[in-house]
Amino acid sequence: MDLLSLFPSWLIEHGAAFIIILPLLMGAITSILPSRSLAWWTAFIVTVIVTLTSFGLVLNMMSEGTTVYSMGGWDPPHGIGLVVDALSAPVLLLISAMAVLTMVYGMPATIAEVEPKKRAPFYAAFLLCFAGLMGMVVTGDAFNVFVFLEVSSISTYALVAMGAARDRRALTASFNYLIMGSIGATFFVIGLGFLYMETGTLNMADMARILADLDGGSRVAKVAFGFIVVGLGLKLAMFPLHTWLPGAYAYAPSMVTIFLASTATKAALYLLLRFTFTVFDPSFEYVGTLVKYLLIGVGVVGMIFASLQAIFQTDVRRTLAFSSVAQVGYMLLGIGLATAAGLAAGYLHLLNHAVIKGGLFIALGAFWYRFGITRVEDFQGLSKTMPWTMGAFTVSALSLIGVPFTAGFVSKVNLATAAADKGWWWAVAVIVVTSVLAIIYMGRILLSAYFGDAPEINGEVAKRNEAPLMMLVPMWVLAIMSIAIGSNIFNLGDNFVGAAEAAARLLLGSGA
Amino acid sequence: MAKSPENLSEAELEERTNAHPMSVPFLWLGRESTIKNFMWLPIAGMIICTALGLIYPPHHLAPWDFFGSWTVIGFVAYSLVVFSAGPLFKLLARNEDYYGEGGLPDPEYSTEGDHHD
Amino acid sequence: MIDILQINPGLWVILAGIICAFLPVSPIRKALVLLAPIFAAVMIFQIYGAQEVIGGVINFAGMDYTTLRIDRLSMIWGYLFCLAGVLNAIYGLHEKCKITDSSALIYMGAALAGVFSGDLLTLFIFWELAAISSVFLVWKGGEHSYASGIRYLAIHVLSGVLLLAGAIVYGRANGGDFTFGNIGLGAPGGWLLLIAMGIKCGFPFLHNWIQDAYPKASITGTVILSAFTTKLALYALARGFAGEDILIYIGAVMTCFPVFFAVIENDLRRVLSYSLNNQLGFMVCGIGIGTPLAMNGVAAHVVADVIFKGLLFMSMGAVMLRTGTTKASELGGLFRSMPYTTLFCLIGAGSIAAFPLLSAFVTKSMILTAALEEHLWVPLAMLLFASAGVMEHSGIKVPYFTFFSHDSGRRVKEAPWNMLTAMGLASLLCIVFALPGVSFGYKLLYSLLPYEVDYHPYTPDHVIFQLQLLFAAITAFCILKKYGLYPSEKRAEIIDFDWTYRKLGLGIAKWIGAMWTRLSVNITGLRKTFIDNAGKRLYQIFSPAGAMSEAAPSGLAAVLTAGMLVIALLIMFITSV
Repeated sequence: MDLLSLFPSWLIEHGAAFIIILPLLMGAITSILPSRSLAWWTAFIVTVIVTLTSFGLVLNMMSEGTTVYSMGGWDPPHGIGLVVDALSAPVLLLISAMAVLTMVYGMPATIAEVEPKKRAPFYAAFLLCFAGLMGMVVTGDAFNVFVFLEVSSISTYALVAMGAARDRRALTASFNYLIMGSIGATFFVIGLGFLYMETGTLNMADMARILADLDGGSRVAKVAFGFIVVGLGLKLAMFPLHTWLPGAYAYAPSMVTIFLASTATKAALYLLLRFTFTVFDPSFEYVGTLVKYLLIGVGVVGMIFASLQAIFQTDVRRTLAFSSVAQVGYMLLGIGLATAAGLAAGYLHLLNHAVIKGGLFIALGAFWYRFGITRVEDFQGLSKTMPWTMGAFTVSALSLIGVPFTAGFVSKVNLATAAADKGWWWAVAVIVVTSVLAIIYMGRILLSAYFGDAPEINGEVAKRNEAPLMMLVPMWVLAIMSIAIGSNIFNLGDNFVGAAEAAARLLLGSGA
Repeated sequence: MAKSPENLSEAELEERTNAHPMSVPFLWLGRESTIKNFMWLPIAGMIICTALGLIYPPHHLAPWDFFGSWTVIGFVAYSLVVFSAGPLFKLLARNEDYYGEGGLPDPEYSTEGDHHD
Repeated sequence: MIDILQINPGLWVILAGIICAFLPVSPIRKALVLLAPIFAAVMIFQIYGAQEVIGGVINFAGMDYTTLRIDRLSMIWGYLFCLAGVLNAIYGLHEKCKITDSSALIYMGAALAGVFSGDLLTLFIFWELAAISSVFLVWKGGEHSYASGIRYLAIHVLSGVLLLAGAIVYGRANGGDFTFGNIGLGAPGGWLLLIAMGIKCGFPFLHNWIQDAYPKASITGTVILSAFTTKLALYALARGFAGEDILIYIGAVMTCFPVFFAVIENDLRRVLSYSLNNQLGFMVCGIGIGTPLAMNGVAAHVVADVIFKGLLFMSMGAVMLRTGTTKASELGGLFRSMPYTTLFCLIGAGSIAAFPLLSAFVTKSMILTAALEEHLWVPLAMLLFASAGVMEHSGIKVPYFTFFSHDSGRRVKEAPWNMLTAMGLASLLCIVFALPGVSFGYKLLYSLLPYEVDYHPYTPDHVIFQLQLLFAAITAFCILKKYGLYPSEKRAEIIDFDWTYRKLGLGIAKWIGAMWTRLSVNITGLRKTFIDNAGKRLYQIFSPAGAMSEAAPSGLAAVLTAGMLVIALLIMFITSV
């Protein structure tokens, strides 16, 4: 089956640039469109086209290997290069696919959550954020990363603030996020500055080569690395720098939460991988030790603390947000292992978690849409009033816990095996313990949904009131994907694991 | 041992009407004289079995075994357990709501009909 | 096409349980509850011939799971669980409760599947499933059982975690072979596994969950619970640790200490829970002895114990259903109203006390004889003492205070027909399994045992000496009663080792909590003055929006960020110097 031949060759050739420029351009146009539905259709079509292109790029990457696209015909290192390789391509596809699903969900949700006047700008900001994330992932130029990081961040602040129509706390959350995000970006750009001082280039491949020649470089490179790790750590919600995340996830419009939860931190994590393993190199002593002690330290502490915090939340959105912080801990642990198996497991969990959390937040959005429900105690009897939505929520929740035959299980087992291979039994124990904590914090929600009685409205038991189809479709797509990955239906599991292993090979430099 | 209906006292008649039909022939079990004389049954059994122990000695002896040793063990062990109850009760017994969880089901609280959904 | 003979029979029962959870129609549920164990038994019969059967190997995540293994040892447990499942189903026919039906089936299926698990990881899965599904039976006891259920769940999940940890250590040391065979304490992870099983078995100091949860479960719940959890653990112990000397002493202590608690306890279902603990002691001791005779004794006694202990719990359940209590101080004279229940309870009491022609006589004596033959004098003395103790709490106290004693004046209905049927069947089995005969009676039971049996219970000396012990005990009871030396039953909460966590631990936790609140108030003050100031300064340095730094949470977060940077730099510099 040669799917690749179905794509026009110019699209593949210029695809890397196309996937950034199209949403950027259309974002600008969308903002001035007069009609909400026209704006929605524009944004939706853009995400679909970008997703198809990303899919083409992935196929192309699989057959041709790494491709570097020179922006405007200027070859790197002088021009800007866009890199599509085993590491970036799956993340590109993930982000764009999630964008499509989010858009589908967003059709009904936006009407409920965003004021009519602001809807077109809302979609515009969404497209900008999307473009920024895609740019961050695909670019091969370090300063460009910063630019796209800011593009996505600034539009995200605006998106989060638009939740104010639903909950005024969105404003403070957005403000917090703005402050923290700016600190992160500042740290990152300071780090880049130091790195530029050391190497005299901004092209990542060039930087890597020069650093390798310098055998890790001087003290300046070390400081640069420190700044970059902490700056990115903030963006990816590394414990204890995650404080912006629960507020932002909880009070943003639900469509934004879904998109952020499944892509934004993932893109930052991707950058951390890129910088730690391909620009720097864990064989430099300072990189190795920082990865081993800092990333694993905060990863493990974060897994435990954030899981515990998740247990005590009364708002399900915050529970899921803290759970996200905990899941980032798993990924950091995988990175910290710095073995092929560990990296693959971390990368796989990155992909899986996007699928899982996306599904959970979509279902949660649907609960809010129908009944205005966000608190755990309000979940009483939801299995009776919204069985299909609750079903999808349950599947994703089980996957988050790591029940066999679900995506979460595959990545957790891989991670545990990787840790065990390295002889880190304590890490296996931590994974088991946090999984038990996950049983508790998801379990109490499920228990109340399945064993509680449906609430009474004006003396009558609430009637069955299922979510609209536009919400059911994306949540079930993600729920089924969770199962498909876990049970290797349509070979999805093998493909995901294969992609993760290819990425790990690339990161460790043993053939791309 | 059962008395004929005509020479029953009033209390006995009432007991008889309230009892389960299958229990009627066994009501003598609750009588004062039965309780008083019941003890001769195990005493007789004990003596007979101890005596029989002479005829059929155990074919595998424990070091402490002597004539009638199992009788002694049974009697002493049982008494020991019962005599330990007094001091143990003083030591270990607390108020019923000691743990503040409502204790075990209250006698007034019948669970009948409570186990349906 | 999957070969259905490759499927662990327990899974069918679990499936039935899941179906039950969604079945609104009570009669169909009841039919399922009744038929599922029978079907499982048929499947065992189909699968198991005479040789060990290993099957259902699933490769998942790079490891092989042997989901089906039936041999002579697991077979007897399998049939026993199916039998118990049928009896419990009949006993619970009157109750219309979806949760009980479904969790009873899942729980029974998990226990069954656990017994047929060929490797430790599969065992772990069912071990936990059994714990989680059974807690609903505890919770069905009403509101007052909630805390108890939580403790039950916590202890069992802990047991499961220990089992998993032990299994992983053990499996790694064996080069990834997780097969569940004889483990022994010398093996890596052996102690973890022993403690995990010990928790479920009610080892001394790990036993409190039994007496805590069982008396608080619902009427049918207690009966169901008493059959499976501890017996699954016994099986695991028999499989993994047969012949470990330490078990002889643990078992002997387990037979003795519950005797003292049972004598002062007022709640008769709790008395029976202690009695259950005491019977488990006999079997643990037998596993410790580990000779073929002892292991046969253990397997036979497991069968007898499930039946007569179930019978006793059933009779107390019937009393509870009719009178609303099982407190000895509130009962008495019930033989006038519940003649059949009285008879069945007496048969159960006689069985557990090991009267000739009743079941424990032909099973428990094997364990005692094995101890005798091995010249284990101290344990043997303890087991003999405990035998007299059994006579006290289960043989005399339970039936006497419920059905005889002084008349409480309660006149209630006899138990429902289905309870009487279940009790009748159990009584029948107590008798049938003890009858002397050529091809039926105890010979039938013996023919199922894991080793060749060369033991004859009905020798004159055995009968006579057993009767000496029992008659002497009853005589002692009568004499003590006559002279008013037998303590009367008083209502009270008897504290046991669980006081350490229910009272002491809770107290300490509360104290720490109170101290922590005070401390944190002070710390907050300190933080306000110190960290916030520092935070603000750093914040003004790092934040592009310094002027708006009044928002406190971002301030703290900024400090954290700076702190992380310092830590990151320190790590790099210290290690590279």
